[in-house]
Amino acid sequence: MPDLGPGEPGGRPAAGEGVPEVAARRLGSSSFSSGLSVPDFAACLQVGLRPVALVQGFCVMQWGWYGVGSPYVRGVSPFAGGSGWSGYNESWRCPHGYVVGSGDHRVWGQNYEQTWVEAAWAQGFGTAYARLVDEARDAGAHGVVGVVDSVRHLAEQSVTEFHLTGTAVVAEDLDGPPGGPPFTTYLAGQRLVKLVEAGMVPVSIVASMASVRVWASCVTELLTRGQSSVWGQYVGGEIEQLARAHMAARDLAREHVRRLLATDQLFGAQMGTSYREVGEGDEVVECTLKGTRVRRFQEFEPLPAPVPTVTLA
Amino acid sequence: MTGDAAAVPPTGLVPAAEPRDVRTMLRRGLEELQRHATGGTGGARAGVTSDLSADETLLLHGAGWEAVDLVSGVSIVSVPWGVWNWGAGEITAASTAHNDAFAKAAQRLESECERAGGKGVVGVRLESDVGPHRVDVELVGTAARPVSASARSRRGGGPGRVFVSDLSARDFSLLGQAGWAPVGLAFGASFVYAPRRSAGTTLRQTSQNVELTNFTEAMYAARESAMERMQRSAIAMGAQGIVGVGVTEGPMPFARHAVGFRAWGTAVRLVAGEHRSIAPRVVLPLDDAVLQFAAEALRGTPRGGAR
Repeated sequence: MPDLGPGEPGGRPAAGEGVPEVAARRLGSSSFSSGLSVPDFAACLQVGLRPVALVQGFCVMQWGWYGVGSPYVRGVSPFAGGSGWSGYNESWRCPHGYVVGSGDHRVWGQNYEQTWVEAAWAQGFGTAYARLVDEARDAGAHGVVGVVDSVRHLAEQSVTEFHLTGTAVVAEDLDGPPGGPPFTTYLAGQRLVKLVEAGMVPVSIVASMASVRVWASCVTELLTRGQSSVWGQYVGGEIEQLARAHMAARDLAREHVRRLLATDQLFGAQMGTSYREVGEGDEVVECTLKGTRVRRFQEFEPLPAPVPTVTLA
Repeated sequence: MTGDAAAVPPTGLVPAAEPRDVRTMLRRGLEELQRHATGGTGGARAGVTSDLSADETLLLHGAGWEAVDLVSGVSIVSVPWGVWNWGAGEITAASTAHNDAFAKAAQRLESECERAGGKGVVGVRLESDVGPHRVDVELVGTAARPVSASARSRRGGGPGRVFVSDLSARDFSLLGQAGWAPVGLAFGASFVYAPRRSAGTTLRQTSQNVELTNFTEAMYAARESAMERMQRSAIAMGAQGIVGVGVTEGPMPFARHAVGFRAWGTAVRLVAGEHRSIAPRVVLPLDDAVLQFAAEALRGTPRGGAR
């Protein structure tokens, strides 16, 4: 987590300095707050999870990059030899050797991972998450259930707000106060109960984002314009560079999450992908993957054969 | 009451499994978590990712399968300039582009499934977007592998091939109980021009209630081609039928004189000797519908009343 400077009462907390003073007073009061629906609330109480506080974490991030690959510097030329790029990177060269002299003709194209965007996203989400966990810890909770997250752009594309909220709970059957960090999960109520029945406990929520920038090659640019041949040479069919970028964004998001899982599993994964065109053939593809990291504490017990039913209403 | 009927429990009295003590299970799980804060043993399931719910995970396990990995397949195919202009008959270039994009995306999904060690993909979500110059197709689902001998013997797909299915784990489990197995995702798309009406016809029909037969016929033509392609792809996979067929149809937002029709579903074949009836039990719920509290009732004035 970055150094965010000293915290102020009621303002944003500093890294490692716990929750703001007024929030700490509220969390320490004798009444509880909960973001759970009434059925989820009842289901949590039934398994010994007592809500203590609605906890939240916010972070607003801006990212900017003016080096290679930024909107101002177009990738790394494949003709320069060696990409010098640490993330995913693929290049396409122009198949029309005889037009190399033309200034408008894109003689090379490139897909590359925008690692600085991913790092900023991970920092924003991670900071909001750490603040949520700090509040839960301050409330003496063993875990946070029913986490809801929102990531939205403020004002412009490069300013993003991360907001996490959840209900901190105390496990009444555990002896003593929480030892390690509280567990966190997107699940609550019956969905959480079923997870436990299946022999798994939540460890933490995990989320990652992958961002791939496409600088179109001449073929990609022409194909996205609907031109399938160049001076008699057929180039139609799949727009390979774009397809590869979309596949890469999904692969990278999975790879990032897998690194966070260690030996555990990802449960209830949600994958979302979006792309925006930033020029003819040029795109930014973003893929987010999130879910609950779960650990198996006992083997599956065989289910009784389910009985199909038809309801008369 | 016949002897057969006597063997069936009375309606609504389905024998329930012994309730599990979830509270104790949760305590055990959390204690385990506190003991090994950094990571568990993981075993063969380490790093598994899945978008299934707990119910689906349990049902899949009950059917002898387990999730392996979240997998996806994407393809983007170009549509040549000018194909959406006025014309007659099928817009072959657009239809081919969409069918190719689907085939390539499905192929990539299968490859990812194989790489992950899965034997089939369940709960596949199909998303496609047709634009003037490109068709995007995305398939996302959870790769699964059989863990029981019976599931391995009737796993579906072709010999040495994985299957792709948009059925939920519940439907997959029911299908298995009935003796059927998915073999793949069948798909067909077609785009057809609604031909121009002549100036005279347009003028004549201006003041009439009249069917626009050019649009109706275009829709029928698109439907027929798309359905036929879907069925042909199912037959090529060795399927006997397609379940859960979904369709989308309508004019293209960027070319209102062209109509598109897409159809897809899970191709299935019988793997048991014959279809097995799952014989569902009829349940009659005894609880009343919940009455909503109406705050306006407190005002003492009947709603909508004129008093």
